[in-house]
Amino acid sequence: MNRSQINKLAGIGVLVAAFALPLIIRSATYLHILVLLYFYAYLTTSWNLVGGFAGVLPLGHAAFVGIGAYTSTILSLQYGISPWLGMLVGGAIATVVGVLIGLPTFKMRGAYFALATIAFAEGIRVIVENLDYLGPFNINGPRGLQIPPLETGFTNFMFAGKEPYYYIILVMLLAVLLLTWVISRSKLGYYLNAGGEEPEAAMALGVNVARAKLIAMAMSSFLTALAGTFYAQFSLYIHPKSIISLDLSFEIAFIALIGGRGSIAGPILGALLLRPVGDFSRIYFGDTLPGMHLIIFGLVLILVMHYQPRGLQEPLTRLYTALVDRLIQKKEVAGRGKHGIA
Amino acid sequence: MLFIIEDSINGILMGSIYGLTAMGLTIIFGVLKVINFAHGSMLMVGMYVTYWVVVLTGVNPYLAIFIVAPVMFLFGYYLQDIVIKPIFIAEKNVREPITVIIVTTGIWYILDNLVLLVFGPQYRSLPENPLRGQMLQFADMFVSVPKLYGFIISIITASAIYWFFQKTTMGRAIRATSMDREAASLMGINQFKVYNIAFGIGAATAGIAAVTLVPFNNVFPTVGVLFDIKGFIIVVLGGLGSIGGALIGGIIIGLIESVGPQFMTATWTEAIVYGLFLVVLFVKPSGLFGQKNDW
Repeated sequence: MNRSQINKLAGIGVLVAAFALPLIIRSATYLHILVLLYFYAYLTTSWNLVGGFAGVLPLGHAAFVGIGAYTSTILSLQYGISPWLGMLVGGAIATVVGVLIGLPTFKMRGAYFALATIAFAEGIRVIVENLDYLGPFNINGPRGLQIPPLETGFTNFMFAGKEPYYYIILVMLLAVLLLTWVISRSKLGYYLNAGGEEPEAAMALGVNVARAKLIAMAMSSFLTALAGTFYAQFSLYIHPKSIISLDLSFEIAFIALIGGRGSIAGPILGALLLRPVGDFSRIYFGDTLPGMHLIIFGLVLILVMHYQPRGLQEPLTRLYTALVDRLIQKKEVAGRGKHGIA
Repeated sequence: MLFIIEDSINGILMGSIYGLTAMGLTIIFGVLKVINFAHGSMLMVGMYVTYWVVVLTGVNPYLAIFIVAPVMFLFGYYLQDIVIKPIFIAEKNVREPITVIIVTTGIWYILDNLVLLVFGPQYRSLPENPLRGQMLQFADMFVSVPKLYGFIISIITASAIYWFFQKTTMGRAIRATSMDREAASLMGINQFKVYNIAFGIGAATAGIAAVTLVPFNNVFPTVGVLFDIKGFIIVVLGGLGSIGGALIGGIIIGLIESVGPQFMTATWTEAIVYGLFLVVLFVKPSGLFGQKNDW
């Protein structure tokens, strides 16, 4: 067995395990935690298109989650349009907003870009909190929107158990991972990488850095908004203070940074490591030690930045390659042994 | 008409305090070229230090400055020396190290939640505090007394820092480092010592701002967040790195917040502030007083 065969086998193994998990895990709480884990992995992978490949630090992605959630929810509440359609409309609106934000901000240097994205997201939150009606649409100001239970089923994006949500977000996650993989091997991916590391050099070589970044931003905001619709349908309640919050924007960025931004596996690893830490310390220390999970978060963040500034995917990838190497070597030694006997 | 003047005066007073809360942010950015996301948390720590100094010793809240400022200086000095410096050394060749921004965010999370863990989520205010709500009357106008003191302290602090940067050897070393770290290092300036001191001064000004806030503002673990975002807006408005700019930026925000509600619902003033911030970012990212290619 050679390296690519082992890689394929491992990939298939992980996939089968991911699809089989709900058959083994029957607890609704654990499924809920898993759904949120995939949700964050999805958000972070979408963020990674801009924050990782384009080499800037956007800290306002919660705005796109909010746009997606509000668009589909309002369309479904007021006009009875299926959230699936609303999801696409939300994505389209988020794309427009994302490009509008990107046009002026991509000219800015690191710190200014981060601050500008924060200001945009906070501005959108303040507007949502202050308006009961945006034109004909009832956004219900600071109270947020409640989604009343409809007939369960696919068109209404509403299910009795957690399993359907699990499979929907899993498929979304796989799709966005595939997209990231395709982009990273495309011309756009190379342009982004070059523009992120050495913008002047890339521009001198005729790479349209600004255009590449805008395309990345458009895709990232579209994909992020889709997750907003998913979240609205999963939790059946959206609230401007939680869904368009700085905390969410920051958490998305942190998961990517700890996992390793600019890599495909990074966001997944980050979510796999950080979400359980957060969830379980909330469950076990939530009453006695409030805020413990955020202290752990902060510590992990500082330690990772100190010892592995490129994220945890680097040492983990090394570990994996070393393991595969050992496997191949063992096989070779065993094979030679057989020949000797024969 | 009178109430607009009254609101303007109170807006300028409060705005100068905002400016003071942001002054450390602008100093740290000017020298380290890093946005300190933990600045609001340092302000919060300063407020807790002030609160406990006043409660335990019973001194006048404003006299607490002489304890809070040195304590916060040491806090900032060692925070930079122990936590942030290693990251700088690892990323020596990066002009604007994003990793350092992230580390300061980690510090923010840890400080806010550590304080929550130790002191609990409750709001605290000074017991038997005659300053709270105390007003001075001119004609038919009322001016808040603790905010007036805050204004005076802000002006004195800004002048003192300005003098320190312009006239002392250490101040010149700090300015030299902020202009060109390599050249300054070649002149025998210890870059990381300068960073420690700049961070210490930033923390000390956050401490002084905390002292001016405690007499009329509640103390609680997330109080810094309120001033964090406001601080970013103020320093960009005034020009990142400009001390006078921070004061002016703060006063602009203070004026919008106090005069604005005469014309609209109070919560909309927040949207105006973000809008103004974005306009400045697009039209003149160097801010009102920042030098063009400096930062």
